[in-house]
Amino acid sequence: MKDTNKAVGSPISRIDGIAKVTGKAPYSMDHPVTNPAYAILFKSTIAAGTIREIDSAAAEKAPGVLAIITHKNAPKLNVKGGLRGGALLQSPEVEFFGQNIGIVVAETFEQARYASRLINVTYDKKEPKVDFDKVADQARMPKDKEKADAKRGDVQAALGQATYKVEEVYETPIEHHHPMEPHAAIAEWNGDKVTLYSSAQIVNGAQSAAAATLNLQPNQVRIVSPYIGGGFGSKGGQWANLALAAVAAKQVNRPVKLALTRQQMVNSVGLRQHNRQKVSLAATGDGKLTALAHEITTHCAINDEFVEPCGDCSKIMYDTPNSLITYRVAPMNLILPTYTRGPGKSTGSFALESAMDELAYKLKMDPIAFRIKNEPERDPSNGKPWSSRTTVQCLREGAKAFGWEKRKPEPRQNSQGNYWIGYGVSAGTYPAHQRPTSASVKLTRAGETVTAIVELAAADLGTGTYTILTQTAADALGLAVQHVKVKIGDSDLPPAAGAVGSVGAASYANAVNDACEKITQELLTKSGKQFFVRPTAAQLMRSEKLTDYQTRVDSKPPENTEEFSAHSFNANFAEVAVNKSTGMVRVNRFLAVTGAGKILNPKTARSQIIGGNVWGIGMALTEESVVDPRWGNFVTRSLGDYHVPANLDIGHLDAIFINETDEHVNTLGVKGIGEVGIVAVAAAVANAVFNATGKRVRELPITPDKVL
Amino acid sequence: MDEHESPELTEDEKRLFANLMPEDLNEILDTGVNRRHFLKLMTLAGGGILAAQSAVAEQLLTRPSNVPSPTELAPFSLDNAVNVSFKVNGTARKLTVDSRMTLLDALRERLDLTGSKKGCDHGQCGACTVIVNGHRVLSCLTLTASCEGKTVQTIEGLAQNDTLHPVQEAFLKHDGFQCGFCTPGQICSAVAMLDEAKKGQASYVTENVRQTTGPAKLSNEEIRERMSGNICRCGAYPNIVAAIQEVYSGKPVEQIFRSV
Amino acid sequence: MRPFTYTRATDVASAIRLLSQNPNARFLAGGTNLLDLMKEDVERPNTLIDISELGLTDIKSIASGSNKGGISLGGLGKNTDAANHPLVRQHYPLLTQAILAGASGQLRNMATNGGNLLQRTRCPYFYEVAMPCNKREPGTGCGAKDGINRMHAIFGWSDQCVAVYPSDMAVALAALDAVVTVRNASGQERRIPILDFHRLPDNQPEKDTNLVHGELITAIELPQNRLADKSYYLKVRDRASYAFALVSVAAALETEGNTIKQARIAMGGVAHKPWRSLKAEAMLVGKEATEANFKQAADAVMADAKPLAHNAFKVELGNRSIVLALQMAMKGSKI
Repeated sequence: MKDTNKAVGSPISRIDGIAKVTGKAPYSMDHPVTNPAYAILFKSTIAAGTIREIDSAAAEKAPGVLAIITHKNAPKLNVKGGLRGGALLQSPEVEFFGQNIGIVVAETFEQARYASRLINVTYDKKEPKVDFDKVADQARMPKDKEKADAKRGDVQAALGQATYKVEEVYETPIEHHHPMEPHAAIAEWNGDKVTLYSSAQIVNGAQSAAAATLNLQPNQVRIVSPYIGGGFGSKGGQWANLALAAVAAKQVNRPVKLALTRQQMVNSVGLRQHNRQKVSLAATGDGKLTALAHEITTHCAINDEFVEPCGDCSKIMYDTPNSLITYRVAPMNLILPTYTRGPGKSTGSFALESAMDELAYKLKMDPIAFRIKNEPERDPSNGKPWSSRTTVQCLREGAKAFGWEKRKPEPRQNSQGNYWIGYGVSAGTYPAHQRPTSASVKLTRAGETVTAIVELAAADLGTGTYTILTQTAADALGLAVQHVKVKIGDSDLPPAAGAVGSVGAASYANAVNDACEKITQELLTKSGKQFFVRPTAAQLMRSEKLTDYQTRVDSKPPENTEEFSAHSFNANFAEVAVNKSTGMVRVNRFLAVTGAGKILNPKTARSQIIGGNVWGIGMALTEESVVDPRWGNFVTRSLGDYHVPANLDIGHLDAIFINETDEHVNTLGVKGIGEVGIVAVAAAVANAVFNATGKRVRELPITPDKVL
Repeated sequence: MDEHESPELTEDEKRLFANLMPEDLNEILDTGVNRRHFLKLMTLAGGGILAAQSAVAEQLLTRPSNVPSPTELAPFSLDNAVNVSFKVNGTARKLTVDSRMTLLDALRERLDLTGSKKGCDHGQCGACTVIVNGHRVLSCLTLTASCEGKTVQTIEGLAQNDTLHPVQEAFLKHDGFQCGFCTPGQICSAVAMLDEAKKGQASYVTENVRQTTGPAKLSNEEIRERMSGNICRCGAYPNIVAAIQEVYSGKPVEQIFRSV
Repeated sequence: MRPFTYTRATDVASAIRLLSQNPNARFLAGGTNLLDLMKEDVERPNTLIDISELGLTDIKSIASGSNKGGISLGGLGKNTDAANHPLVRQHYPLLTQAILAGASGQLRNMATNGGNLLQRTRCPYFYEVAMPCNKREPGTGCGAKDGINRMHAIFGWSDQCVAVYPSDMAVALAALDAVVTVRNASGQERRIPILDFHRLPDNQPEKDTNLVHGELITAIELPQNRLADKSYYLKVRDRASYAFALVSVAAALETEGNTIKQARIAMGGVAHKPWRSLKAEAMLVGKEATEANFKQAADAVMADAKPLAHNAFKVELGNRSIVLALQMAMKGSKI
C-alpha cells in the first residue's frame, strides 16, 4: 500500500472505536489483577464538627472483612501532596457532609458494602455553613490573584449616564460532572512501588500528587489510564480516593479495588459551584456598549479555595471603554469546587450573553448585529492582537445556515399548535494554549514496511486523542495510519500535558509532530546525503536500510505565542419549543459554529462540539445539585434525582467549523475544542425561551415551574 | 502487547474510498469539495471493510489472561451461597455466588466479562444493560441467583466470529460514543430495542398506541425515547440515533461534516 | 445490602406460606426497586423469596363475575407485556401510555405489574439513611416537610410524611377503577379496589398500602369501559424521559356528541397515592367538552391543594395539566 500524507483533516473513525464497541477497552476497574480485595469508603453524616467515636466493632466481625481504616489507624499522608479536597483520613475534623471518614476492605464487594453499613459514628457537631443565601453577603475577595478586581474606565458613571442598560442577577446552580465512569482505582503494590489503574486526565499530575501524598517518589507510583470513562474536569486534579486505594492495598497486602458509588460522587470529586452573577451593561442608542460590569459571588471549601473564572468571557468578548470584573467568594462546608467543563466560561457566558440579549431587545436591535457592532479589534483585557478571531464569521455563517431570518423579533409571535417556538443566539470563547509535552517515536522496518510507535503520557477521555495523534504521526512520518501505533495513558511514557482546559490536542499533536520532525531530521543527518525533495522518515528508513531507530522530543510552545491573544470562538443558535400548558422546554434544533483553528479530525471534532452542546443544554434545562440548607447534604445524590439530559431531551444538533488558519497560536494551528462547545450554549437556549414566551429566566435550570 | 496500547487499525474510510475512486482521492482530500459525495459512497459501501479490520482489532485488543479462570475461584466464606447454572454468550457457566451478588458483579468480577459497566448500580443510567432471555435488562438490578437456567448475552457476545454486529459497526461509523463507557450498554440496549420494535412494541411517543398491527415504525423521535434509559454523559445522542436509524432502516444515514 | 437467604419459590402456595412465616422476608419479582433500596440499606430483608418463575403472567378477558368483559393482568406479568398486549392497547390505551411513560425500556422489561404497585417513594430523605424519615424509621421525623420539597405532595400529606407515590401505571389504574386481587397463606382471595390499595400517610407513613404481610398480588382486574376512544396520560417532568413526574394526569372521557357522559381524572406526583378526583369528574358529567368546563374541573381538583415551601408551582402546573390532558383525551392524541 502506498504511503499517504493526507490523514490529518480526514474524518476517520476512532482508532479506539472497535475496542469500545466490543466492550474490550479497559477502564479503571476493568484491569485484571490477581486475588483482589474490595474496598468501600464510608462518609460523614454531618457537615461540620469533629468525630467523637467510630464504633466499628460489628463491622470488624462481619464476614470477609480484612481491614477498617479510619483517621485513628491510617498511615500518615501528606495532605498538601496535591490531591484535591482533603478527606484523607488524617484527622477527626469534618468539613463537609459526605467527607471520607473511613475505608472498609473485605474479600468481596458485597461483604465490604455490608460491613460499611455496620459502622456507627458519633460527632461533636458545629453549626455548618451550608446555606449559600446566608453566607453570600460575607463573601470575601479571592486569594487567587487572577480573580482580583479588574477595572477599566468608570463603569458606574457610564451606567449612570446611559439610556439603554441592563442590570440583572443571573444564577447558575451547583452542578456535578457525573462522568459515566465513577472515580475508581485498582491499587497493586510491588515492593515499595505501587501501580494505580485509575482514570486520569493528567497522567503525570496524578502520579506526582499520589506520590507526594503517599510520601513516595514519583517513580514509585505508576498511573495506568488507557481509557477514561469521562472526566469533564473531575478527573483532572485527583482526589483522596486515589491515595486511599493505595493505603488500603498496602494494609491488606494484596491488590485492592476501590470505586466510588454514584451517590458518593456528589461529595468526593468536586463540583461546579453555585454562581450569583450580576451583569450590568450600558449602550448608546445605536448599540455601542459603554459599560460592562460582571460581579460574581460564589463559594469555596471551608479551608481551600477554587473559584471558576466566570468573568473571562466578559473580559474579552466585547469592546467597551468601561469594564469591571469582580469576584467574591464565601467559604462553605461543601466539598471543594473544581474545574467543570468550560470552567467559568460556560456559566459566565450564561450571564453575559443573556444580558446582551436583554439589551439588544431593549435597543430593538437584532442580537447578532448588536454583537457584531461591539466586536473588539484587539483583546480588550490586555491590548494584544488576536492570533485570529472568528466571532463575526461564526455569527454570520450560523445565521445563514440556521435560518435566523425566520426569527420573530418579538416574543410570542411564533406559535405551532400548543407550542411557542423561539430562536436564540449567543457567542462564546475559550482560550487556546499549548503546554510542554514530551513524546517519543520509534520506527521499525521489516522489508518495505515501516511502522511507528508513538509514546507519550497523554490522555483520551473520549476526546479523540488516539485518533488525532495517529493521524498527525502518519502524515509527519509519511506512513499510512495503520502503520502507526499510539501508546498513551501511562506515566511510564514520556511526560505530557493533561487533557484539561482544551490544551490536549494542541499540546499532544504539536509534540508528536515535533518528534516526527526530529526523527526525520536525525535520519537525514544520519544518511549524510543531500536530497532534492526532502524524504519522509519512512522513506529514509527504507533508503538507509535501517531496521529500527528512535528519538524523543521535549516539546514547548513557540516562543512568540505570548505576543498574541489566542482563543477559540463560537456562535450558538437554538430553536426551542415551549409547551404552552406545561412549560416544558425542548430544544428542537441547535447549531454551533466554531472557529478552533485546524480541525485534525472532523468526525471526532464534531462529536466533541455536539457533546459540549448537550452539556450546555443540560445546564440550561435539567441539571441542578440541591443542598439541604440545614444539613449540607445533597438531596440530588443519584442519577434519578440529578438530571443529566436523556436521549429524548436532545433534538437535532448541527456543527459547523470555520476553515481557520491561525499562524500564531502554535506550529500546527490547533486550538482546543473540548470546552468551547459548552460555552454560551445555555444562554442561547435561555434567549430562545425568551423569544418563544416572553419569559426571561435568569436562574438555571429552566424547569417547567420557571416557565409557567 | 500491553493492554493499553491502541489497536493497529487501517484508515478504513480512506481505504474504502481508494478502492472505489482512487484517481479522485487526493483531490478530494485536498479540497474537501466532494466530501459529501465521498461520504455518501462510503455509507453505501457499508461496513464489510470495517468488519474485516475488526478481526485484527479483536486479536490485538484481547486482554492478557493472567487471571485465574472462574472455576479456579473457590468460593471462600461466601454468605448465603447460591449455585447458579446459566448460559453466558453461548457458554454454559456454573457459579456459586453470594446471594447478594448482582449479575453485573458476577459478569465483571467472576466471569472476566468487564464490558458491562457499573455507572450507577441503581438502574438509573443503563451502562450495565445486557440481554437476558432476549430482553434488555439492567444487570445491576438483577441478582445472579435469579439467573438459573437463563441465557445472558453481553457486549462481548455480540460480534460473530470477529464480525461486528451491525449495531456495533454503525456505532463505530457514526461515532456513537466518545469516552465509550456507556457504549456496551447502549449497544446491547439498541440491539434488543430493534427487536422490540420488530415485535410491534409501542413507546410513550407512539402516535397511536391502539394501532397494533405489524412492526413499530422508528422515527428518530421514537429511537430517542426508546433509548432514553441509556445515559451518555459525553452527549453522543445524535450519533447514537443516527447509528440505530441506519441499522433499522437498512439505508445509510448520511454523515455531514460541515465547514465554511 | 444485608445478608439474606435466597429461596426460589416453586409454587404460589408455598411462596405465600414462606413469606407469611417470616416478617423480615420479601418477595423478589422484578427487583428493580427492592434491590435499589437494599443497596441503599433502606430495605433490610433477611430472606428473599424469588417469585419470578411462578407464572401469574397471563393477560386475559374476564369471562364472569363483577368485572365480566374486562381484562385481568397477571400480578407477575412484566410491565412491557402489559403495556403492549393487544387487549390492553385496544381497550385500555390509557394504561399502555401510563406504563410507557414510566422508567425505561430495560426497567419495564424487568418490573412486574404487582411490583409496580408496590414501588416506594423516591423521596431523597427516604433514600438516604443518614436523614430523618418517618417512613423508613418511624419517629425520626420528616426530613422533607421543612427541607427540600419541590418534588413532594400537595394533597393528603401529614406532618409525618409529605412523600409522593411514584408509579405512573397506578395513576391510570386509579382512573380505570382497577381491582387488585391478592391471595394469603390460607389461600383466601381478597379484592381491593385500587383507590383503597394505597394509603395516605397519616400517622403511619411506613405503611404505603393496605396489603397485609403474607399476601401476594395475583392479578389486577380492569372493568370494561367506554373510555378507550378518549383518553390520554400526560406526564410533566424535569427532563423529557426517564424521570419521575412533577405532575401527571390520567384523563378519560366518554362523550355523546360533545356532551360528556363520563369523565375520569387521576393525578400522579401530587400525593402519597394516585389522586383521583370524583368530585371534579362528577362536575363534568352532562357538560360540554370545552376548555372552560375542563378548567372548572381542574379548579375543583386543585381547590384542595396544600402546597409546601417549594412546590406551590404544582398547583398551577396541575391545573393546566388537567385541562391539557382532557383536551388530549378528547382528541385521542398529543396536541
